[in-house]
Parts: sequence; structure tokens; C-alpha cells
Amino acid sequence: MDEQSLILEAQAGNSKALAELVKLYEKTIYSFAFKVCRNPEKAENTMQETFISMVKSLKQFDGKSKLSTWLYRITANHCLMEYRKRKHNYVSIDDDDALISEDSVADWANVPSFTIENSELKSVLDNAIQKLSPEYRIVFLLRDVEGLSTEETGKITDLSVPAVKSRLHRARAFLRKEISQTFKK
Amino acid sequence: MKKQQVTCKEVMHHVCESLGEDLNSPHCFAIKAHLEECSGCRDYFKSVEDTIDFYRKYNVEPTKASHLRLMNLLGLKDTE
Ligand SMILES: [Zn+2]
Repeated sequence: MDEQSLILEAQAGNSKALAELVKLYEKTIYSFAFKVCRNPEKAENTMQETFISMVKSLKQFDGKSKLSTWLYRITANHCLMEYRKRKHNYVSIDDDDALISEDSVADWANVPSFTIENSELKSVLDNAIQKLSPEYRIVFLLRDVEGLSTEETGKITDLSVPAVKSRLHRARAFLRKEISQTFKK
Repeated sequence: MKKQQVTCKEVMHHVCESLGEDLNSPHCFAIKAHLEECSGCRDYFKSVEDTIDFYRKYNVEPTKASHLRLMNLLGLKDTE
């Protein structure tokens, strides 16, 4: 059965079709939630909340957007809500000049290449992205890591295309700088 | 056509913004030309690409146990 028919069947109350839909998206949603929270328990909790919301409001899903876009949106909103509850202080990345300096280029020479066993690099990546406020983090993850278009990312986050681009550009420059500074010798 | 002058700093900014996007405006042609000549900017461009690539490769999957908890929570049967 294709996705469209699965959705229609699930909306009509077919629990087998619903289970198929959950299985279709569970890896994507878990992995996205993990990338936002950087923590397995929080990722699992967010995944559960996302699918609970999906089951509750699937009948209202009109198919105008993709189901994946809809699920990403629920997940992103859930993560943002969790972060707002906790009131973090994130580094300000409004100053482009602080993010990009011409003498920072050489610092990349000692950065290792990524392997799944390299726990040092992984923890650097975790730390760097956690300094980024979730509003920037989510844009970077949707656009660059999940590979969604700028327009889709805008739809999910309620941002205009120029706003997505500007956040993306700052998030990239910030992460790059964090990583390079860690490995600077 | 007037030759556009761009600085390294401008290239770094723009390169960030346009990674993975279409480079077709005259300004972008000037940037491409700059990139061909300036190894500093090329290195910067590459390091931003590496950054994105790191986060792409850093993937995780739910465990079998968390899959089962999810299905259970939703009251759904796991039919293989
Ligand atoms: Zn240059």
C-alpha cells in the first residue's frame, strides 16, 4: 500500500495501516528528535509525543502538505516547547563579524574526519550544537542535515525564506567556528 | 560588463549562504572566480561543508526496546 492509501485507511480506523505509518516514520522522527535534543531519553519521549499527536489528529490531516512535513513540525514544536520551559541562555549569534574572521581559516587543519567510533569528535559535535539556540538548531538540522528545501523548512518553522537562509548561514558559521576552535592547536 | 570586486570576507559570508544552492547571479560568478584563485576561501568553504557532513553522518536509530514501547503506548500491534 502506498502512503496515501495508508493515511486514508488509518483515518478510517484501520489500526494495521496506522501501525505501518508509524513504522514508516519512526526512524526519521527519532533521529531528528535526537539531533535536536542530543539525548536518547529525550529523543524517545519526543518521538512518543509526536506519534501520540499524530494519532490524535490524523483525521484532520488534509494531505495538503506531506505527512513528513507535518510530523517534523509536531516534533520541532514539541522540542521548542520543552526548551522554553527550561529557559536556557544560549550564545548570541547575531553578530556576523564575530562568527567569521579571515584569520580563522587555518584552524581547520587539525579537525579529524568523521567516523562513528570517534567519540571525541562526536562529543565536540554534541557540545557545539547544544550551544546553539533551538530556533537556529532546528533550521540547520531540517535544511542541512535532513535535506529539506528552504521552503519546506520555512513552513515547518513558520519562517520566511530569507529568515531561514539567515539563520542557516549563522548556524553553519557558528558550528564551524566551534569545531575549529576545539581542535585548534 | 563592470567587473565585480569581492573581498574574502564577503566570499565567506556568501559561500555560507549559498552552499548547496544555485550560484547564478553576476555577484555569484565573481565569487566563483574568487574561489578559484583564493585557497583561503576554498578552505573555508570546504570546512563549512565538512561541518554539515559531520552532522549528517552522526546518525542514530531507536532501539528495538524503544520501538516496542512506542507501539505499546499507541496500542498498536507490531506485524512484520
Ligand atoms: Zn578569498
